[in-house]
Amino acid sequence: MDWLFLFEVVLAGIGAGGLYALAGLAFVIIYKATQVVNLAIGEMLMLGAYAFFAFAAGMQWPIPVAIMAAIAVCAVLGGVVERLAIRPMLGESPISVFMVTVGLGSIMVGLVELIWSADQRRLPEFIPNEPIFLGEAFISPKIFYSFLVAVVLVAISLAVFRWWRGGVALRATASDQGAAYAMGINVPRVFSLAWIVAAALSAVAGIAVGAIGGVSSSMGIFGLSVLVVVIVGGLDSVLGALLAGLLIGVLEALAGAYLGGEFKLLITFLVLVAVLMVRPYGLFGTREIERL
Amino acid sequence: MRIATAKESYLQDEALFDSRTQRVWAALLGLALIAYPFMANDYWLYLACLVAINVASATGLNILTGYTGLVSLGQAAFMGLGAYTVAVMEHHVGGFFLLNLLAAGVVAMAGGIVVGIPSLRVKGLYLAIVTIAASFLAHFLFVNSGFTGGTGGMTVPPAQVAGVALDTSFRIYWLIVPVTVLMVLGAANLFRTRIGRAFIAIRDRDISAEVLGIPLLRYKLLSFGLSSFYAGVAGGLWAYFFRVVTPESFPLIMSIFFLAAIIVGGMGTILGGILGAIFMTMVPEVLRILVGLLPVSGDTLQFVSPVRTIVFGLLIVGFLIFEPHGLAEVWRRIRRFFHLWPFRN
Amino acid sequence: MSHRYTGLSRFMRRVVAPLGVSLGMALTPAAQAQGDDIVIGGSIPMSGVFAFAGVGIHAGIGDYVKMLNEQGGINGRKVVYVPEDTGYKVDVSVAAFKKITSQNKVNLYYGDSTGFSKTINPELDRKGDILMTGASFATEINDPDKFPAQFLVGPDYTEMFGILLKYIAQETPGATVAFVYSDTEFGRDPIESSRKRAEELGLKVGAEIMTPPGSVDVSTEVLKLRRARPDYTIFHGYVLAPIPEFVAQGRQMGLKSRYMGTFWTMDNSTVMQMGENADGFMGVMPFRYYYDEEKAPMLEKIRAMRPEYQSTAYMQGFMAAMLMTEAVKRTLDEGKELTSKNMKAALQSIRDFDTGGIIGVPISVKGNSVPVGRIYRADYASKKMVPASDWIILD
Repeated sequence: MDWLFLFEVVLAGIGAGGLYALAGLAFVIIYKATQVVNLAIGEMLMLGAYAFFAFAAGMQWPIPVAIMAAIAVCAVLGGVVERLAIRPMLGESPISVFMVTVGLGSIMVGLVELIWSADQRRLPEFIPNEPIFLGEAFISPKIFYSFLVAVVLVAISLAVFRWWRGGVALRATASDQGAAYAMGINVPRVFSLAWIVAAALSAVAGIAVGAIGGVSSSMGIFGLSVLVVVIVGGLDSVLGALLAGLLIGVLEALAGAYLGGEFKLLITFLVLVAVLMVRPYGLFGTREIERL
Repeated sequence: MRIATAKESYLQDEALFDSRTQRVWAALLGLALIAYPFMANDYWLYLACLVAINVASATGLNILTGYTGLVSLGQAAFMGLGAYTVAVMEHHVGGFFLLNLLAAGVVAMAGGIVVGIPSLRVKGLYLAIVTIAASFLAHFLFVNSGFTGGTGGMTVPPAQVAGVALDTSFRIYWLIVPVTVLMVLGAANLFRTRIGRAFIAIRDRDISAEVLGIPLLRYKLLSFGLSSFYAGVAGGLWAYFFRVVTPESFPLIMSIFFLAAIIVGGMGTILGGILGAIFMTMVPEVLRILVGLLPVSGDTLQFVSPVRTIVFGLLIVGFLIFEPHGLAEVWRRIRRFFHLWPFRN
Repeated sequence: MSHRYTGLSRFMRRVVAPLGVSLGMALTPAAQAQGDDIVIGGSIPMSGVFAFAGVGIHAGIGDYVKMLNEQGGINGRKVVYVPEDTGYKVDVSVAAFKKITSQNKVNLYYGDSTGFSKTINPELDRKGDILMTGASFATEINDPDKFPAQFLVGPDYTEMFGILLKYIAQETPGATVAFVYSDTEFGRDPIESSRKRAEELGLKVGAEIMTPPGSVDVSTEVLKLRRARPDYTIFHGYVLAPIPEFVAQGRQMGLKSRYMGTFWTMDNSTVMQMGENADGFMGVMPFRYYYDEEKAPMLEKIRAMRPEYQSTAYMQGFMAAMLMTEAVKRTLDEGKELTSKNMKAALQSIRDFDTGGIIGVPISVKGNSVPVGRIYRADYASKKMVPASDWIILD
């Protein structure tokens, strides 16, 4: 039993899991506030990565400026999308809104293909290159730094939801829109805020994912794995997104290492089905009580 | 203006074509379908066959999602099951192609029932995600089962009727279109029966339906089974039409295509499934012609695909926001206009 | 609320207009070839994941056809190129094929993928009057009995691996090799036969690593690669990703392997996107690069027509057109009819053919392929691919 190998694989899995957690966080924020299942999360990631590509490689801006600009552009786009496509669907069945996000994802992919063509590209390298060694175990530096960023952002989000007024307002809107209105919370503004923040977070995740695997117009497929993560963790739980992200990351890494690359997605979806049968609302999600 | 349509018996009330004008139009449509292959060239015949296959599959999805309210993103996977069944049977058993199509439907139905089992525990979006998982599982099976030809897929010999091979679009039209018409009529009839009404009750409020005495699991599984039967037969037809089946032939995006088709066409109406499938299949073709017409210099060939993707997304978003009942609603409005003319309301 | 009737105008705008236009288009005849023109139809992936290659192929075929027509065509007959965009999707490809063949008398066809070539094969055999090639180098198609109307513009993937393995066996006898490939038909194609080939050449296959298509993080796969400690790692089935990650992480880990790729990864711009890690990346190329210094009259003509760098895909398209039209010329010279059987026989009669320098040695068609290639190495300092071996011809 090669313990070093196992340790390295688990570390790689945790690192990848951090990325899942970050993207899952963006998803959860939208769901927490607006009860919308955003299947376009992968495409929002892609937009963030391409925005960074445009600023850093296309316009040759310094990296930190490019990152800030990409996040800002995506945040604005998130707000615009919410206003134009999600707000009119308020009150419609969840399936309709779900399909709207699918349509939005398609539009985003088409736009990216139109402007940049469907080729794969590499982002300019900005993550330090020296390998990280934990004892003898190797960790790819990109994975390591992405993981750090993810954990920090998740921790901040947890704190925000707990203590900041905006975060509490978000939670209030999620539980009961009517009561939130009655308490004087500006519900439409909360919706916009949720989408803006989520878009910014997915931009960060997108830059990380792009830095590792390059960007292409089919990057959105990452969104499916993120979907599994949030289902397992609970659609409206931030902590769930983190833990489930790490769990799925490790499971995928183990499956990939010991079973073979083709089993990665299979294991992910088997876990999904298992969790759905046993705990349909995820490990940390709130139970929905249906009333007639 | 439409007059003298008072019904005198329950039977008349439930009829599919309830007035003489409707029956005349239906007969004309039938004649048009028969005359079409003799007038259209190879390319338009190809399109017609493709549209028919999509109509069949969309109608199946409509039964599950439009009428029973169970959102499914696995329709393409069930089509794949059907297509692979046909391919495997042609290779190992040979036999009469109608039998193979039936087998395709049955295998897909079995798959559908298996996928439907979680529907007792999970609902709505969660069920949709289970169907996505089923999609991936099916893909894994197609690639890794020993007898399905791996990533290369399998070729399918053309269907044989009395020694004549159905290998041109003209010939296979006579297989695909009648089968599709039968399936659509079957679906329309389904919703005049008790089972159909039970499906609609489940869609509207399933807990209440259970209170009324409709056994939920049984009917949900039935709905899954029926819709995947349709998908399986459509997949079998697809196999005979394209004559190559690969694991990449039925991706998740195809399931999304069918869901979009019934949304655009109008969920919960048979006409909606037909209109939606026709519309969504023809839009890329029309787009290609339109983009070619644009007064843009140079090679516009490479913009067709991104524009097509954008239009696809815009159609979904647009119809959901502005016309949630789809093209069928538009059709109904036109019919009402003619029924009420010269009055307005 | 009174129901103002607006549905009709909406209906007109959204449904009738596009349908009307399409009907109009269906009825008007499209611009097409004259009676005895030679028609090359093309399902070209101008958009989608292969768009980069498709644009190059499109330009390559177009340029060769233009050049040929300037010299009077084939025996005085004009050559017409009729392309359609397919987005690298098989059913769109098939639709394009049906459209082009229903509107023109097509003699030659270029297909965009292995999937399409396999799908359309029965149709080709039934029609019997088209010779087809394409972007695919699949081993399966290199079978003149199963695919009598098709051929490959170069070595098939197994032959490419064969050239790479032959080079490795010459440079480092008894070396350990690792195969890294994608979980697609494209990727899996040559692995089985290449494993056997490697063993025949006395090389050890240390690892066979398959990555899911579209995977972002390949850390676990790189860890597996480290376990195998190969001397050479061959990538296949990718256009770019995840090769840069593999190479980068491999370097960080201190892996001493040399990295190699097959045709579609070998374009200059693709390789150079790896940054510094591109240096030393090797691979097999059946054609010369646009900027090759060696004497090549055809390359000079291309450089005169197109002052900016043309990709390897351009070369592939150019060669495809060259081989296809040569087959037609030979058939016509013998006074035979343009059936796929005759054109294929003419193609297979190509022995020691001078391609004007696109391929460095005179070529012969063997079976359905042209099994010749050269190893090139990336030189990051000059941002070019330089030759690292002689032209290797497989039998």
